[in-house]
Amino acid sequence: MAEKQKRHMSQKLKNKLSNGLIYTVLIVVSVIWLFPFFCLVCESFRCESTHQVGYIIPKVWGFDNYINLFTKTDFLIWYKNTFIIAVFVSVIQTIMVLTMSYTLSRLRFKGRKSLMNIMLILGMFPGFITMIVLYKILSGMGLTGANSVPGLILVYTASSAMGYYVSKGFFDTISRSLDEAARIDGATRFQVLTKVIMPLSKPIVIYTILTAFMAPWGDFMFAKYIAHNTSRGMNVAVGLQNMISTPSSLTANYTMFCAGGVLVAVPITILFMSLQKYYVEGVTGGAVKG
Amino acid sequence: MARVKLTNVKKVYDNKVVAVQDFNLDIADKEFVVFVGPSGCGKSTTLRMVAGLEEISEGTIEIDDVVVNDLQPKDRDISMVFQNYALYPHLTVFENIAFPLRLRKLPQQEVFEKVTEAAEILGITEYLNRKPRALSGGQRQRVAIGRAMVRHPKVFLMDEPLSNLDAKLRNQMRAEIILLRKRIDTTFIYVTHDQTEAMTLGDRIVIMKDGFIMQVGTPDEVFDHPDNLFVAEFIGAPKMNTFKTNLVIEDGEYYVTPFGAKILVDGEKGEQLKKLNVEPQEIILGVRPEHIILAKENEGIKCTVMVNEMMGSELHLHTTTDDDTHLIVRVPTIGLTHKQRNDLQAGHDFYITFQGKVMHLFDVETENNLLK
Amino acid sequence: MSEYKVERINLFEDLSDFDYLRLNKFQALLYKFIKVIRVVPKWFLNLFVLVGKYIKKFFTYIKDEFVDIYTTFVYGDWKTKMSFFIMGFGSIARGKVLRGILFLVFQVVFIVYLCFGGIHWLSKFKTLGDTKASTVYDPNLDTYVRVDGDDSFKIMLYSLLTIIFIIAFIWTWRTNVKQNKIMEDILKSGKKLKSTKEDIQSLLDEQFHKTLLAIPLTGIMTFTVFPIIFMILVAFTNYDAAHDGYSNLFTWVGLTNFNALFSMNIGSDNLSFAFGEILSWTLIWAFFATFTNYFLGMFVAIMINKKGIKLKKLWRGILVLTSAVPQFVSLLYISKMFANNGLANGLLMEWGFIKNISGIIKFWGVKEIARTMVIIVNVWIGIPYTMLICTGILMNIPKDLYESSQIDGATAFQQFVKITMPYMLFVTGPYLLTSFIGNINNFNVIYLLTGGGPSNPALLTSGGSAGDTDLLITWLFNLTTGAESKYYLAAVIGIMIFVVVSSISVVVYNVMPSTKNEEDFS
Repeated sequence: MAEKQKRHMSQKLKNKLSNGLIYTVLIVVSVIWLFPFFCLVCESFRCESTHQVGYIIPKVWGFDNYINLFTKTDFLIWYKNTFIIAVFVSVIQTIMVLTMSYTLSRLRFKGRKSLMNIMLILGMFPGFITMIVLYKILSGMGLTGANSVPGLILVYTASSAMGYYVSKGFFDTISRSLDEAARIDGATRFQVLTKVIMPLSKPIVIYTILTAFMAPWGDFMFAKYIAHNTSRGMNVAVGLQNMISTPSSLTANYTMFCAGGVLVAVPITILFMSLQKYYVEGVTGGAVKG
Repeated sequence: MARVKLTNVKKVYDNKVVAVQDFNLDIADKEFVVFVGPSGCGKSTTLRMVAGLEEISEGTIEIDDVVVNDLQPKDRDISMVFQNYALYPHLTVFENIAFPLRLRKLPQQEVFEKVTEAAEILGITEYLNRKPRALSGGQRQRVAIGRAMVRHPKVFLMDEPLSNLDAKLRNQMRAEIILLRKRIDTTFIYVTHDQTEAMTLGDRIVIMKDGFIMQVGTPDEVFDHPDNLFVAEFIGAPKMNTFKTNLVIEDGEYYVTPFGAKILVDGEKGEQLKKLNVEPQEIILGVRPEHIILAKENEGIKCTVMVNEMMGSELHLHTTTDDDTHLIVRVPTIGLTHKQRNDLQAGHDFYITFQGKVMHLFDVETENNLLK
Repeated sequence: MSEYKVERINLFEDLSDFDYLRLNKFQALLYKFIKVIRVVPKWFLNLFVLVGKYIKKFFTYIKDEFVDIYTTFVYGDWKTKMSFFIMGFGSIARGKVLRGILFLVFQVVFIVYLCFGGIHWLSKFKTLGDTKASTVYDPNLDTYVRVDGDDSFKIMLYSLLTIIFIIAFIWTWRTNVKQNKIMEDILKSGKKLKSTKEDIQSLLDEQFHKTLLAIPLTGIMTFTVFPIIFMILVAFTNYDAAHDGYSNLFTWVGLTNFNALFSMNIGSDNLSFAFGEILSWTLIWAFFATFTNYFLGMFVAIMINKKGIKLKKLWRGILVLTSAVPQFVSLLYISKMFANNGLANGLLMEWGFIKNISGIIKFWGVKEIARTMVIIVNVWIGIPYTMLICTGILMNIPKDLYESSQIDGATAFQQFVKITMPYMLFVTGPYLLTSFIGNINNFNVIYLLTGGGPSNPALLTSGGSAGDTDLLITWLFNLTTGAESKYYLAAVIGIMIFVVVSSISVVVYNVMPSTKNEEDFS
């Protein structure tokens, strides 16, 4: 009896110990993950120097960097560019992706399997190699350099339907007998889409919009190539990177870059956190099946 | 209102699997027809072809003498109840039932009247404002039926509508479908894998296997005169006992000789055998468990009880004969003395015989009924 | 003991289930491994057989088409016969005017295009142009003016467009012939043709997929398929900044570019060395980036999900928060943080780990440190996402598996090894593959952290102009955007990435259990 009690006690103790260990690890992990952002925010408010320093907490706090960012650089233009691109991309890409995934998930037609295979194979080419010819064509149309916003929207959205996997995974989970019931009830396939499937797909629609909206804020590869060193045509990522790309500009602009980073990160993060529920649903629901 | 005629209907899937072979059936107006068979026999596929959910590979389907092969489901004037109910989760019960009416752009007042009428018949008025997920299985099924009946279709299709319900609810809903059928009085095609449902609901039963129709007939016909071994074993519970034995003639009378016994084939069956002048041969004999009767000690066939299932009003005895053939015997408990019951416990031996006039005789090769 | 005498089992042969069950753990593992190795040739054989099958299918299809076209012509009525020469004639004659006119317009446009451009471009496709642009003295203007010659780029572009146009025309012509046959058959059987209105309505019902796919497929064709075909062609030319096609023609060079990549000559322009280096680092990187993320992410997810841990939402939230910040912000910031004069070195100095300036750690300056650093930073970037995915799956593992194993006497560790891991690996197999491929092409992390550096003289002189942490994709980017703009080389590398990615996919797909029987675990 006593033996049993003792074992019971030790079990409890062991559990407590392991939980304690886990809490410690989680706290350390949280600190590591938040630390860079903490530093970023601090440095963005530093007024005494613009270059990199060996301490975190600024000696003089102020909004100098933010003010300089708007008055001395094209940050506002970059921001506007990115925002316009993000809005258009999120609308167009969502439509493209959802129509493609709905079609592949719900409709059966000749060549459906081949179409999926072809898109799979196309996806194995690095997307950037298309840029060499696309750049020439776009620049021929005047959609590069200072005008790169419409050009980038085209580049981001035109083939976006190839990223149909996550939302198809979602549509596949909606029972096909709902479609059939609706068709027997008198709906055309178009009505099945608008009256049955769409109302049921709110999470995946929001997920698609959210990811489409966020992608242009982080894209670097296409944006840099299309903008081609024209400041007016850059997005925030290219612009800010450009600001600190040489040692001398780094010394002059470092804290300003931090301020820019904060200005980009804050709204995006708020948007993301407020729609987090749908994002998690999309990631855990569709992405793995994809 | 509607006659449904299937002529030489065939379904071949893309991967060359043949689901339905040469299906011919003429369903009269207001008839209740049940397709029954084991899973994969093509019964659902046939129903879905009538509905327009599957393409018809060959042959024609007519509803009221109009070929509907190329018509979309919405243009066929049919409705269907699905096994998993297929209710629209984002709509209330009211809107679910109203859905087909809304698609036809009926005025609100008419929609309201029709939906409430249907809801009243099905006893779901109090749930009209709920979402389907707040309903129990039986209630969901009622909503599905409501949605199907609200626009008075020519043909009412039901695809295993009771399979997702528990046993008790299933019996209750079965009775309700019979009542419902009297009220709506239209053509019904009902698919099930459960022979009890088929027997209790159908005016006619279509028994299918591997894409072929095995027999079409009223419940009485398929029970009393199964065309072949498959139908004989499929219809009726517990399953019919079947085993090989010999058919012999003695003094112009036909006898079967199971397990060393000799049993006269009398009644109608004997007359038919004589009329057809059937050769003595090896046959497969089928005897339903309820047609086995207890015989006196040392008379008839000796059986050993392996398992005794007490069902209340009757006993199901799983027995083996001396040559290890498995026989199921159904004995009504009424009229059994305590001692008799005791003698039928597992391990005991007892003697049985068959009723000659209700035995079924099948050809060994073709497995068809010899008297067909 | 001797009762269980086991005769030798040959692991190099296919074993029956019964024999397989007699193997001990080690033997079973070995057997599985040998089996995988043994079937590799079989896949390739299967692949060839498959390709052969498709080729055969293709030719029978072509044959059937011709037979069908022939019989349509011979047995068709005069309206059908006319349609062979004037597209849409049959449609118009049978009352489907709109459709017929569309066919006809297409035919006219095609012929006009071919006469006034198509043939011209196609005729130059073989050489990609022969007249160089030149400058000529213009006495009227008293200056040198440019006289345009051929433009190889345009020749290639328009020739390709013409070829696509021709294919599209053949296909449309064939559709036109087919339609005639269908219409004839319908009319013969005494039925009526569908009205234009019904045709349009069917685009929202029977033909809905055509309506839905029209725009997305057009986008994919113009912005992916066409450029990829173009780039594949570029790989066989010498297109670069010096041969830009406009001021200096470029031309076909056959397999020269591929040869350069694989030849083993040790010269100043030793591309094969650079390619080998970068490819192997790309694979090493993809491997570590994928699996460190995967296991650490799972580890974090398991910790947060453990029964009895409080504030689950907070821990998860903190991690998700960091993944919400656009990558370029965090990556660029971290890159600067670990720069030679960055915050990390500064703090280390302040805390006394580093004595003076000469002692600073060059995080991005030494090959080994830089490579380790990008993998570590990638963990920081990637864990939140992996954690989310793992959390979802962990919660889906049936609880009764754990309960029954507990009753069977399993410890927490055994549960992890015997239940959690196999389940996770099974479900996340496809995700692991996608993530591995994503890492092969992970431009952002490398470019924003190191820019490909530290620079490596051996790689620089080899003509590749790449650094120690460059992946194939960043190399490709540099080749395209750099001063020399070696488009041809970029195209070749693009093709090589495709080859690498597709072969990995084929192998993994064949080994992975979850692609075959999806129901195994449910």
